Amino acid sequence: MLVSKNWISQFNTIPKKITPQQLGVDLTMHVVEVEDVIDEARFLDNVVVGKVVEVKKHDNADTLHVCTVDVRDEKLQVVCGGSNVREGMFVAMGKLGASVRWHGEGEPVVLTKAKIRGVESFGMICASDEIGLGDMFPKQSEKEILDLTDIIASKSSDVVGKSLAEALGLDDVIFDIDNKSMTHRPDLWGQYGMAREIAAMYGVALKPYEPKKIGKPAGTGRDLSIQVKDAKACPRYMAVAIDNIEVAESPAWLKKRLMSVGVQPRNNVVDVTNFVMFELGQPLHAFDIKQLANKKGDVEIVVRKAKDEEAYTSLDDKEYKLTKEDLVIATKDKVVALAGVKGSNNSGVTNETTSILLESANFHAVTIRRTVSRHGLRTDASARYEKSLDPHLCELALRRVVELLKEVSPKSVVSSTIVDQSDFSLDQGPIALDTEFVQRKMGVDLPATEMVRILTSLGFGVKEKKNTLSVTIPSWRATKDISIREDLVEEIARVYGYDNIVPTLPMFPIVPPKKNALRELETRLRALLAYEGRYTEVSNYSFISPELLEKVGEQTKDYLELENPIAKDRPYLRRHLRENMLEMVERNLHRFDTVNIFEIGKVFKKELDGEKDGLKHVLPRQDTLLAMAHAAKGDENPFLHVSTAFTTIMTRLGLVVEYTKKSLDDVLVHPGRFAEVSVAGKKIGHIAEVHPLTAEKLGLDARTAILEVNLSEIVSLLTEKTQYLPLSQYPSIERDVAFVLDTEKQHEDIAAALIKADPLTVDVELFDVFTGKNIPEGKKSMAYRITYRSDEKTLEGKDVDVVHEKIVAMLKKKFGAEIRA
Amino acid sequence: MKEQLSSLKKEFEAQLKHVSSLLQLEALEQTIFGRKAGAFTTLAKQMKDVATEQKKAIGEMMNTVRLKIVKELEEKREALQREEMKKIAETESIDVTEPHLPKEAHGHMHPMSQVEIELSELFRSMGFMVLDGPELESDYFNFEALNIPPSHPARDSHDTFFIKDHPEWVMRTHTSPVQVRAMRQYGAPLRAVVPGRVFRNESTDASHEHTFTQLEGLVVDTDISIADIIGVMKGLLTGILKREVEVRLRPGYFPFVEPGFELDMKCLVCDGKGCNVCKHTGWVEMMPCGLVHPEVLKAGGLDPDVYSGFAFGLGSMRLVMQKYGIEDIRHFQSGDLRFLKQF
Repeated sequence: MLVSKNWISQFNTIPKKITPQQLGVDLTMHVVEVEDVIDEARFLDNVVVGKVVEVKKHDNADTLHVCTVDVRDEKLQVVCGGSNVREGMFVAMGKLGASVRWHGEGEPVVLTKAKIRGVESFGMICASDEIGLGDMFPKQSEKEILDLTDIIASKSSDVVGKSLAEALGLDDVIFDIDNKSMTHRPDLWGQYGMAREIAAMYGVALKPYEPKKIGKPAGTGRDLSIQVKDAKACPRYMAVAIDNIEVAESPAWLKKRLMSVGVQPRNNVVDVTNFVMFELGQPLHAFDIKQLANKKGDVEIVVRKAKDEEAYTSLDDKEYKLTKEDLVIATKDKVVALAGVKGSNNSGVTNETTSILLESANFHAVTIRRTVSRHGLRTDASARYEKSLDPHLCELALRRVVELLKEVSPKSVVSSTIVDQSDFSLDQGPIALDTEFVQRKMGVDLPATEMVRILTSLGFGVKEKKNTLSVTIPSWRATKDISIREDLVEEIARVYGYDNIVPTLPMFPIVPPKKNALRELETRLRALLAYEGRYTEVSNYSFISPELLEKVGEQTKDYLELENPIAKDRPYLRRHLRENMLEMVERNLHRFDTVNIFEIGKVFKKELDGEKDGLKHVLPRQDTLLAMAHAAKGDENPFLHVSTAFTTIMTRLGLVVEYTKKSLDDVLVHPGRFAEVSVAGKKIGHIAEVHPLTAEKLGLDARTAILEVNLSEIVSLLTEKTQYLPLSQYPSIERDVAFVLDTEKQHEDIAAALIKADPLTVDVELFDVFTGKNIPEGKKSMAYRITYRSDEKTLEGKDVDVVHEKIVAMLKKKFGAEIRA
Repeated sequence: MKEQLSSLKKEFEAQLKHVSSLLQLEALEQTIFGRKAGAFTTLAKQMKDVATEQKKAIGEMMNTVRLKIVKELEEKREALQREEMKKIAETESIDVTEPHLPKEAHGHMHPMSQVEIELSELFRSMGFMVLDGPELESDYFNFEALNIPPSHPARDSHDTFFIKDHPEWVMRTHTSPVQVRAMRQYGAPLRAVVPGRVFRNESTDASHEHTFTQLEGLVVDTDISIADIIGVMKGLLTGILKREVEVRLRPGYFPFVEPGFELDMKCLVCDGKGCNVCKHTGWVEMMPCGLVHPEVLKAGGLDPDVYSGFAFGLGSMRLVMQKYGIEDIRHFQSGDLRFLKQF
């Protein structure tokens, strides 16, 4: 919203020493966020009113003209690309030295003498946005220059050469307020509300807002009947008829005020309704009575909910189908306005209008907000109603607009009694406010007198008894904004100034914070996986596409689904990390030969119970999983890369991992390369190479293995290493054994058998596995290094020979191993 | 014997002069002390034939000669070794800039994780618990318990993802629901932070993501004041940014706090003078915060007449973007290793 310094100065006196910049900062610090402080004339130095006296085509450019512009003291030759330039036109002439912004963007550029396609140009004929007047005079087309001919009131020649700022009376400073910072403040949506805040801020007087009371109609007048069918949706509806209206152009002061806050003037009637809305924050609507009245000139209005599918055509001729949730203003036979949003095209004010019905109403914020979002139709009026307006404003606004109408259309007369249908109540307190409570919340020993001063200046009624203030809420703050004592603390503290509060630190007992075991596990795993396992951490969306699920054989019916996915292609909530991970592997394999990635994240399972929902039920289970994936061009067995890395990392956590080849009905899984992963006998997940057919569907260019385990299951298994084996006093002896055996024989079994074979075998390490050349089909060669040691004596060769022979015999017997040389 | 010894010594000394390598020295040593045919060894073997009365004198002489030769051999060896070492400076010279081959891949932690861990550590050091909460949250915890009833306009600005067939659930739009969960679980006094993933249904571009991270903070005790917020926040930002910062509070509206604030920090780029980063205001908006609303305390099972608290929300993803100058928020979830390998 734009706030005009000149406009608010009608209601208070801003102290002279406060510069506009300072006022902007003060508003930000005490009231609302000011995004920009705009001096209307900031780009108008050396910009004057010029009159185009000659226009010739540029010899070397089709779209350019060479113009002669009269600026009183001299006639300037200017090259101009404006599509609408013509002889006799009054223009904004940027003389040499003027600062303009090309196309209204970026930093200003100072004009210097230039040669454009060989022709000298002494300045520039400006477009509105190039001199900061884009909001005031919006361009109709890209190459349009600002045409002042109709805007400059005096078309006589003495305006020529005048500074543009002076000619247009641009002496205002505009504050651009971030609307998002005042959604909770219905009272700030007009200039007067801002004036009130500024008065409180600087401790200056605020002029009361007291428009003249509306007089009685001359004679019997028109008969107005207003029927409000839904008092909740329309707590107040006021209306009055005005006759003898002469629709005309608004006077200059009115147009200037509206333009200063970015509103385009239309005609005197529409302009005064807009003026009051922007001044007080209360929307008004003017109907052409001819379109509403019966033959006798009487009007019957019904405020009711629309019927389903009821048609409504807006003032700007757009058609809508309403629902029974929308509120409309209607006569017997037609909808004449979508309540609180916009009028219909069947009853608006036109140049032929002579009598109007003025509506000043209050509508229920939620009803209006829903209508706005349902139909995507947002207006200045609806933006205000959505904030919960004070119903008392209806009367003030109506009085003000009638007062102004009399000024802009002097023959106008009130031609009906004022109708006021109202059914509302506001909780205006009083709130009992303990002054010590305020001091405690602020952390400041603020005297009660200062609290009273601040609250009073904002319009609160305050009665002081002992250490308690009894505070009455003004109606404009009572609709939803202020209802509890904490709200009053905010009022006092912000006007006092947060900057004036001396920072303190709360006192806390020195105790170590409770641990979060899952978080700590995640943190350790991240470091271990990245820096020891050499895997890179990725982060995927929690959402997944049906196409991807289908490729890996998942059923979408098992998945929770978003009601309103952002991208229609990812509507499901992931149950696994693996699918999105595999997509990432696929993408990265186009750029890297090796991809080692992991992710830690939550998944969603609707069939399992999770945390409480705060009422009576539970949320779906959301366990934290870890997934690891490895693919490398040329790596024919990526499974082991992943399993080994995972085992190593788990060892760091003091956990022993077991991989068991349990069959798994999963099209994602390679039929010969899969395992269930368990820790301490507890199943925690799976590991597998991706099935070649699935890999093809996913477009994976290399064999890929993926592991997925449930960290929520591991947390309870974590133990701290508490064991240490004393170093042996006796040396050990190493012997290698190599043998050929059937491929299905498993390392884990062999290693276990070796270590159990004799008390002297203290360590067993696989150091080579080989298939292919010289090894028969279905067989593999394995080589182990066995460490022998006794805790009682130094072993000799012959001691070891005996045991080693026993082991060889065991390998032959138990595994059918054929010992190699 | 004597003559033989002295000629052996002379002969040795003559030959030693011609020795120019360790190998030659080795050979010379062998000719003298070789176990089988060394000249000195041979002489020593003849000692048994020496007459008894001469044994002592000859023996002493032999020892003197032996020590002398050994010493000279040692000296020569050291000299030769010094020579040798001079050579390897060239012969064994290496390119110190080469990497060890074959090159081993490195792993990288996601930048968001790195910063979250750093922040969590900082908060833990100040006595804060680090908490989690569900990402799919109940409407109750996400909105109602935070003083945002069904018709509240704040709901519109939250661009919520809803769950099909479950109107009572949403993807959490902020980490604030954990405020109430934490109060219910741990009571007061309480200090906790909640780093985590949140969701907003808005279209993505370089500066908007539908999935991003926040870090919620909550302090509950008796007598928490606005002055405390300013003090604690200043300390926090100093810890996060590792330098002294100046902060200011200004009014801000969030339904779950009262009063509510926007906390600004004096621009570190221009030191408050005004630049592009701070949009020429000298201040950068850092985080919303405020005193916990009494309704929220009540929802958390705490008596607002006894307890008070403050809460803040840090846009941790924005912080990471600022820290590294990341221009596009979508990189975080792209999985692009070209991006991730930089951290």
